[in-house]
Amino acid sequence: MSADGDAPTSVGLSSPRIDGAEKAGGKAKYADDLSAPDMLYGAIATSPIPAGRILGYDLSEARAVPGVVAVLTAEDLPQRRVGSFVKDETTLARGRVRYVGEPVAAVAAETREAAELAAQLVLVDYEETPAVCSLDEALAADAPRVHPEQADYARQGDAAAEGNVFWSAEIVEGDPDAAWAECDVVVEEVYETPAQYHAYMEPCSALVEPDLGGRFTVRSAAQSIFYLQGRISEELDLPMARIRCVAPRIGGGFGGKNGVNVQPIAVALARVAERPVKITLSRSQDIEMLRSRHPARIRMKTGAKADGTLVAREAELWFDAGAYVDESPAVMSFGLLCSRGPYRCPNVRVRGHAVYTNKLKAGSFRGFGNPQATFASESQLDALARRLGLDGLALRRRNAMAPGDHWLGGQRVDACAMRECLDALEARMAAEVPALPPPEEGWARGVGVSGLSHISGLMGTSAAVNLRSDGTVALSTGVVDIGQGSDTVLPQICAEALRLPPEAVAYAAQDTDSSPYNWKTAASRITYTAGRAVMQATVEMRQRILEHAAELLECGVGDLELAPGGAVRIAGSDRSVSFREVAARAFNRIGGPIMGQHAFAFDGPRFDPKRAAMSNFAFDNLGVYVFGAVGLVADVDRETGKIVVQKVWSAHDIGRAVNPQSAEGQVQGAVVQGLGYALLEELIWEDGRLANPSFMDYKIPDGLDAPAAITPILVEDAPEETGPFGAKGVGEAGIVGVAPALANAVADAVGVRLTRIPMTSERVLDAIEGRASEAPASRTA
Amino acid sequence: MDHAMRFAEPDSIEEVLSLLAADPEARCLAGGATLVAMMNAGLTAPSLLVSLRKLPGLASIDPQADGAVRVGAMARHATVAAHDGFAGAQAILAAAARRIGHPAIRTMGTIGGSISHADPSADYPTAITAADAVVEIAGPEGARAVPADEFFVDWLETALAPGEIVTGVVVPPDATDAAVHYEKFTRADGDFATVAAAACVALAEDGAVAALRVAAGGVAPTPIRRREAEAALIGRPLTEDGLAALGAALADLSDPIDDMRGSADYRRRLLPRIVGRAVRRAAAAFTARSGARSGTGPQAGGVA
Repeated sequence: MSADGDAPTSVGLSSPRIDGAEKAGGKAKYADDLSAPDMLYGAIATSPIPAGRILGYDLSEARAVPGVVAVLTAEDLPQRRVGSFVKDETTLARGRVRYVGEPVAAVAAETREAAELAAQLVLVDYEETPAVCSLDEALAADAPRVHPEQADYARQGDAAAEGNVFWSAEIVEGDPDAAWAECDVVVEEVYETPAQYHAYMEPCSALVEPDLGGRFTVRSAAQSIFYLQGRISEELDLPMARIRCVAPRIGGGFGGKNGVNVQPIAVALARVAERPVKITLSRSQDIEMLRSRHPARIRMKTGAKADGTLVAREAELWFDAGAYVDESPAVMSFGLLCSRGPYRCPNVRVRGHAVYTNKLKAGSFRGFGNPQATFASESQLDALARRLGLDGLALRRRNAMAPGDHWLGGQRVDACAMRECLDALEARMAAEVPALPPPEEGWARGVGVSGLSHISGLMGTSAAVNLRSDGTVALSTGVVDIGQGSDTVLPQICAEALRLPPEAVAYAAQDTDSSPYNWKTAASRITYTAGRAVMQATVEMRQRILEHAAELLECGVGDLELAPGGAVRIAGSDRSVSFREVAARAFNRIGGPIMGQHAFAFDGPRFDPKRAAMSNFAFDNLGVYVFGAVGLVADVDRETGKIVVQKVWSAHDIGRAVNPQSAEGQVQGAVVQGLGYALLEELIWEDGRLANPSFMDYKIPDGLDAPAAITPILVEDAPEETGPFGAKGVGEAGIVGVAPALANAVADAVGVRLTRIPMTSERVLDAIEGRASEAPASRTA
Repeated sequence: MDHAMRFAEPDSIEEVLSLLAADPEARCLAGGATLVAMMNAGLTAPSLLVSLRKLPGLASIDPQADGAVRVGAMARHATVAAHDGFAGAQAILAAAARRIGHPAIRTMGTIGGSISHADPSADYPTAITAADAVVEIAGPEGARAVPADEFFVDWLETALAPGEIVTGVVVPPDATDAAVHYEKFTRADGDFATVAAAACVALAEDGAVAALRVAAGGVAPTPIRRREAEAALIGRPLTEDGLAALGAALADLSDPIDDMRGSADYRRRLLPRIVGRAVRRAAAAFTARSGARSGTGPQAGGVA
């Protein structure tokens, strides 16, 4: 190595978020902050009933509102159904409505007030039909069909659709039926988890500007400019060449901006009005119209030997998908895949069903089906440990996966620091739990732990990099930063590969006209997959830099090395050329910058049909697995049922932290969102209508509700060989184990186990006092 | 179609009253913390908003000659929360104001607006009921004063007649120099109360209860008090049995609803427990304060 060693110039440094100051200072421009000359405001009329036929429209009153320029219904749009797995959706409801809040008509007007008034005056003649507003109603033998036309829809696979169940899947390994006889102890329980709202700070918004050439520029809150472009194209029958999507700052997504929201409607209005249109939803509209996390019911059964060795696991999962399929097959399939958890267990059968109901769509949400499965799995492991008189961490360590083991489905896992995470968690908690001040009088303290795991990967991505004439670097990807930090982290990866400080790399804003393709900001994939593309593109450019430098220095490429700060030198000498000199030569010789580019799709181990029988699985190629463990201390008020979480430790097998502070922020944010899921958050329907679509009624934890301390523990013991500098993702993993760890802490504190979240104070008190709960919950007439 | 809303910003109370008299759909705009939120949610659409911002003297907090404190209707929650001129039981207003919403709401919202809205889960109605405050009202028929427990008539309904507005709240002097505690049980920070209790407690030197006032909120259409149950605890040491009796008396009067914050059943169970905490904590505060004053440290005031 060279005299200045190999000290990192960028990776591993906690550089400040590139957008941090502008966001904290209120200067960041989100879609609703933007406007265009001659812009109209859009508003959306929605269904007031959970199920019914549309018999006709009367738009005369809406059109008569002064300032109204356009009023659209499905009759004005292309007659096509769209959807990734099942083509069951239309931009505006056509023929039927299937949930309260479903878009039925859209208005563009000179003012927001005129648009909203006109939307209220859209008169739709409905014939109300019976609705199914819960899993029980949807699964009843004679249940009304949410989609009577289901058989006519284009779809992937047959996926065992029956009644309102539109997708069933199964994974079987070993011989679970025979294995129960080998078990010394078996536990079985039904778990229930709620519909959680994404509660991103920025409600969904889009500004669409048409130009005279028939193109539309869309600036909106979305987790992928390319997915958005494709979906608008499909819905509105416009070639992609006529749609340009540009990412402004995004105020959070958490999966909720993974699909489309108001953008196709805004484009349809702009197309008709031939003027720019902006639609921004109110918070309540955002809650009622868009997506939630899937409410789930999970029946799970686990058997083990007396020493805690897991023998068999069976589970059946029902995911309430709401009125349209959206990403449900993938979410449910991934929930199945996570139903064994990061443990060895030779005999497994898991079945899952995604079910239509007359409620808003359930879709992608941080954890993607995994928090539901893990709540069941890790609650059950704790119950098992108690039955066997074993320590919960010890039971998990005994069964924890190790490098070379296989995930459920047969994929080999090469990098895995599960045991190291359990060890790190145990060490920190052993030192810090006894140091906490004792609980208040009347409160009972409990300690709970959970293992956790998630995926990092999926689908395609690409990157391009070039050396500007002054020797600085321009990096470009199609990755949208929804708050997770890619605008900071991807340039850090590029900079490190060139031994530059992070600020030497300028990162381009994302624009479908110029950015290299990226699938989505989802699946904890960006640092791993896009980071890998950035790395390879940069390595390619670095090679060309070295080739130019070799000619300048009149030596072989093999004699050269990078010097920190943007120079190439002959190894072991002080003869060097700067990137600026190399760049200037390139502009003269090749007429432009030295460039590098790379595209790839995950190419690692896959499911193994020799190990597992899988049917109707929604994907066949995932990514690398990440592991971890979370522990917490919670105090329970025996008089009120209130839970106060005092401290949380969350250990993560991150491979390598590219930006430790940013990774810690991801973990802390995920823990707080997980605590909301565990304690407070539940969308509640009464007779098919949301009863709490506002932050007045739907509470999320704020700064004062969050624990005084959330301690992320970044475990870098198992670098991912294929990842950039060993890194893998951490965006979702932090939420996965929080709810079960808390349920386990409550069981430890007061001796009762809650199998349903959120564990509201009322439910906890009811459990302590042994009474049937009347706590707020969805209900039907 | 005329959906326009008009706005007026008069600078005299007479002008406010005449605007209100002329238009039954007019509404007063104080801090806007509740009214504007309701307008945004489409729950109300006043034809005319009459801002009280320019009325002189309505935002001040003024000591009265008899030891009472008059809190102007436009006093913001944050101002009341920080006011150090309350003595004895009067301080329950500041204790409650500190627990309203978030800082942004406390900077906007006013006491007049809060009590006029009369949400039984809000904090001021319970606090002023415990403090035996009197609500000052101006109206077309002239000014009048209504005791707090007559002011709250039903859920979101007050003794205000059409065209009347609240101009202030007068909190009487407290000869017993009680200590106060506002106990608020919520699902999450900043929420309305699931159940709340405002307690004002003074103890004699021997630890017996010398004065006791307790109001509960979130459990009935209006804040509730049981004066005879309070009186039954006077002159005796504070005991768990005594607190249970007070809690039971309040529970008898309660008429809670099911909502997103909890079921009626849960509220009924919480009520005596929250009341017990409020009284115990107020008593402990009284004891700590007396100890600090006399230099002898806390002694009496625990629950026997």
